[in-house]
Amino acid sequence: MTVTAAGSDTRRVSVGDGDLSVIEVGTGPVIGYLHGLVGNPIVHPFLHELGDDHHVIAPSLPGFDGSDPLPVRSMHDWVFLASATMDAVGLTGGQVVAASVGAMVALELAAVRPEAFTHLTLLAPLGLWDDADPIHDLWSERGAKQPGYVFSNAEHFAELTADPDGLDVDELMERELGRYRTRRSAASLMWPIPDHGLAARLHRVKCPVHIVWGSDDRLAPPSYAHRFAEMLPECRGISVIDGAGHALEWDRPAEVAAVVRSGPSA
Amino acid sequence: MKLLWFHLMPYSDLPEDFPERNRSVWVDIDPSLFDPVKCQQMYNDYLDELEYAAAAGFDGVCVNEHHSNGYGLMPSPNLWAASLARNTTDAAIVVLGNSLALYNPPIRVAEEMAMLDVVSGGRLVAGFPVGTPMDTCYAYGLDPASLRERYQEAHDLIMRAWTADEPFAFNGTYTKLRSVNVWPRPLQQPHPPVWIPGGGSVETWEWCAEMDYVYCYLSYYGYKLARKQMQGFWSKVEELGLEPNPYRSGFTQFIGLADTDEEARELYREPAEYFFHRSLHVHGGYAEPPGYKTEATIRQGVASQVEMAAKNAERRPNPGSKAAIHSVDFDEMLERGWVLVGSPTTVAEKLHDIATELNCGHMMLLMHFGNMSKELAMHNTKLFAEKVLPEIGDLFDDQWEDRWWPQGARDRAALRVPAASAVSGGGAA
Repeated sequence: MTVTAAGSDTRRVSVGDGDLSVIEVGTGPVIGYLHGLVGNPIVHPFLHELGDDHHVIAPSLPGFDGSDPLPVRSMHDWVFLASATMDAVGLTGGQVVAASVGAMVALELAAVRPEAFTHLTLLAPLGLWDDADPIHDLWSERGAKQPGYVFSNAEHFAELTADPDGLDVDELMERELGRYRTRRSAASLMWPIPDHGLAARLHRVKCPVHIVWGSDDRLAPPSYAHRFAEMLPECRGISVIDGAGHALEWDRPAEVAAVVRSGPSA
Repeated sequence: MKLLWFHLMPYSDLPEDFPERNRSVWVDIDPSLFDPVKCQQMYNDYLDELEYAAAAGFDGVCVNEHHSNGYGLMPSPNLWAASLARNTTDAAIVVLGNSLALYNPPIRVAEEMAMLDVVSGGRLVAGFPVGTPMDTCYAYGLDPASLRERYQEAHDLIMRAWTADEPFAFNGTYTKLRSVNVWPRPLQQPHPPVWIPGGGSVETWEWCAEMDYVYCYLSYYGYKLARKQMQGFWSKVEELGLEPNPYRSGFTQFIGLADTDEEARELYREPAEYFFHRSLHVHGGYAEPPGYKTEATIRQGVASQVEMAAKNAERRPNPGSKAAIHSVDFDEMLERGWVLVGSPTTVAEKLHDIATELNCGHMMLLMHFGNMSKELAMHNTKLFAEKVLPEIGDLFDDQWEDRWWPQGARDRAALRVPAASAVSGGGAA
């Protein structure tokens, strides 16, 4: 596969008994992106921002986007498949940006396989729970209201990912099913509480970590940034992106990319 | 036709402004609205009503399972089924049912239902619902993505536990047991009849037909909206080359009887509006947790939307949405068939027609609804038993055998254990 500086490509890689979808953008030093709740439904602006000076590799976890919905019944399954995915796409031992549920999986993986990453930029990671400051119950909100808890600018996401005109029934069906599978997988990672015991394992994450949070995160309160920072042995700092929601890399792609560039040397 | 008396056991004292002041009757219903003293009266009234119905001649009495629910006060239907097993003599005890994925380990269902079957003399119907999203995913916290797989595995374990000749190891994904050996075992052999309360998914129709289980479409929205679902089931039965025995199916219908049609309209307006406006005030965010619907159902939904768009049809509101329900007054409820009220003659004729049209042999009648008083529920029951049941009770029986009826209820003399107590009026003071 040839990747041009301005271009992007999507390929499939075999992991376990299925194929996962992988987006690649740009040229330069390799950097991984492990998506959050909404997956990678398109080659989105954040990937292009990072792709300006990186070769971005962005796999979709099982069930997200076009990736096969492999049987995943526990965090152990997620970690196993994430580990295999990192190996398959050539990200093991590299720098990775991971968001929300993807950051939770990345941290779980780093805890059991400390050499998995050389640096992690965590965008509003999930995985901890505080009774006094709970993660919002996104999946109890009406469908139409849910994007408001994920993005500070939900309309922008809707515009970016809208179905193009002229699709036939089968194409519409596949797109709808793809969205449904993504939501199913995201919900499964969070159900009923996005705490799989990560707190007891975070001390094993040995790589440098940079935490980034949106000031307007309505799903995971920004106070969690400090909880993670206290528990991660190599936390190098917290950045807050003003006006961004939970999916901060969608809300403020350029600003988040700038933080990522400064991350390893911060 | 079998005519069964189905109790939801609603909390009957929700305030009039409940819908305006509360998000939902289910899952996050305000705990301060619950008065245990009032509920004591409700429970005892409701058990009286069920026992009265059994004694009055209804073929069976039905209970079901809901959690954190202001219209269903039975988190454990088996408790009341046990009470009914002791206080009735020959009616079927229809537990519709136990949401299998919620029991850990699921052999608890095999054990408790076997207890019920034995003590009742083989009168148990074993209902196995997947369960609503509100009950399973929200109140009980199960991941919607794995719910159906858990359910299926639990079903397989229970059926094997009931029928195996010797103890066995069960190495499931969700349940692992070194030795499965259920004591007591059911009286009915090889097992109690299995009825599946389900929605309108193709997979459920197919599964019920293939497994020879009764498909029960438990809707609160009456016979008119049920046509499509029941037709879907019967099409699948035909496709599989099975006989269209009406006893393969069950259906729920609200019923209100009085001496005249006019009186019935007067009597049942308030309890019907209470039920649909207050009891069914369910937050829309609980309806479709991602993963609860199967992919086939999603495909069906997309296909029908596309079809409708292609026809430039206006999108009809979901009949179960709160906004849609709140705008429906009693007269419209009658018009839509949600509630069927009238004189015995009116109701008998209509119910005969409904059962015939839906080809449904097990009519599960919601004879109490909303905040209906015990006196009115008894009156409703008495009129039905005396004046409707004799008119339509033999429908289908000249043509079809009910192979899904509990052996102890059908052939009581052969299996009855010596009764410790006669039919009683029940426990309310």
